[in-house]
Amino acid sequence: MARVAIDTGIEAVVEFSGVTLRMPRQRRRRGSGRRQRLRRIAGEVRRDEIAALTDVSFRIEPGESVAVVGPKGPGRQALLRLAAGTLRPDEGTVRRNRPIVPMIEVARAFARMYTIRQNIYIVGGLLGMTPAQIEGKLPDIAERAGVSNMLGRYLNAAPPTVRQKLAWTIAMSVEADAYAIDQTLVVGERAFRQEAWTHVDKLREQGATFIISSDSPKQFRRFCDRALYVADGRLVADTTVPEALAAMRAARQAARQGDKDDGSQ
Amino acid sequence: MLVLRDLQKKYTRFRLGYLWTLLEPLGMSLVLWLVFSVLLGARALGLQPYLLFLSVAILPWWWFSTGIGASTRIWRRTGAQLRISTLPTQLWVMRTMLVALIEFIFSLPVILLGIALTGFLPGPLILLFPVGILVQFLLMYGLALLIASASVVFPDVARLVRIVIRAMFYLSPVLYSVSNIPAGAQFLASFNPLVGVLGLYRIGWWPEEASSSVGYAISLGLCLAIFVLGLVTFKKFEPRILKEV
Repeated sequence: MARVAIDTGIEAVVEFSGVTLRMPRQRRRRGSGRRQRLRRIAGEVRRDEIAALTDVSFRIEPGESVAVVGPKGPGRQALLRLAAGTLRPDEGTVRRNRPIVPMIEVARAFARMYTIRQNIYIVGGLLGMTPAQIEGKLPDIAERAGVSNMLGRYLNAAPPTVRQKLAWTIAMSVEADAYAIDQTLVVGERAFRQEAWTHVDKLREQGATFIISSDSPKQFRRFCDRALYVADGRLVADTTVPEALAAMRAARQAARQGDKDDGSQ
Repeated sequence: MLVLRDLQKKYTRFRLGYLWTLLEPLGMSLVLWLVFSVLLGARALGLQPYLLFLSVAILPWWWFSTGIGASTRIWRRTGAQLRISTLPTQLWVMRTMLVALIEFIFSLPVILLGIALTGFLPGPLILLFPVGILVQFLLMYGLALLIASASVVFPDVARLVRIVIRAMFYLSPVLYSVSNIPAGAQFLASFNPLVGVLGLYRIGWWPEEASSSVGYAISLGLCLAIFVLGLVTFKKFEPRILKEV
């Protein structure tokens, strides 16, 4: 019944075979609906599609921690969302043998008109926790996110950093052993980050699987033992983290060089 | 468990004021009653007692229009939640419809008030009232699924739906009885799913509603057809919806 099918028949945590996905081009809501419509009429926002992923195949084994690196674009996030199952491929198949917690823009799912406590229930529930589980973990979540004394306050009252921390803490307290993390590894102040990373380390020792996409290469060295280098929707390389980062740097340099060449002509 | 979680989400909304759930349809019934019955003295319109006759249809109408109206905004309001959840996508539509249903049930005391004011008690056919609720729920769920699917492809659907809802108000026997519909148009009216639904509600008080030549069977069959069509369409559009929100 659930949207995400679990296939216990496979050994890999998640397996992509020949996955192609087209995404609508940047239509993030900027301004009001009316403005959006005007833009569309004016031809500023085109409603065409771009290939976010093209024929991507790989598998991630239990206990692995995989970085998804590459230039900016919709590919990386799409890959995480496909893995977690909140998105479906246009072609090819994605199979997973366990639920994967989609830690992708969790903070956006908060409802501002509700209290922090209610939000913990809402987001926790969305991520797959039962109300009973949330109730048991509530004090712990509140304390780790530093909102113990403001549970009854409305979420508006909380500064964005607190929201980010809260989102992270809720997602991390979901009882799962696979997580798809987008960007959120760098939230909160140093102490919070330190604690969060220790938590990730602990989970990794327990055999949890991570798929992480981030712009900050430092984290990859620390957490990941494998890297998928995605550029222009293609899986360019499936290597170690340092190699992928080196490849990325090289590609960036080459692009810059190319720009210069174009300029001189 | 999932439904429970959803209900919890919903109930937080009602703090906004249960009273409004009662006041809005009540106010609307009163205004329309004043205009059509007292001021215009239009005895030919609808059946007596007109105040009760109105409110029996206004409440389901209110449910219909708010529920369908909300279905055009589903993704805008809850898209971000959809992105992080692995719950079935239909649940988001179902949830919006359940909120509307609960609001409708909470507003039912208005009818009791109408009975108290007019002293007009329903007959045994009132048993069809809950059937009406069920059929209307299926109809609305189906329609909402269709609208939710369509609105990801054409964002302008929302505006269109608003106009259609407005038109439906006058095209459906809310203000008037099916017997007010000209004989030639009665067959056409059978193709309005709301005709059948509203008939189920009213028949308890006014059994004569059933005796017109309006095809209730067609109308109710259409409700179920829309329900099935909604389920099928939504299944087909689901990947697209997930991409767009």
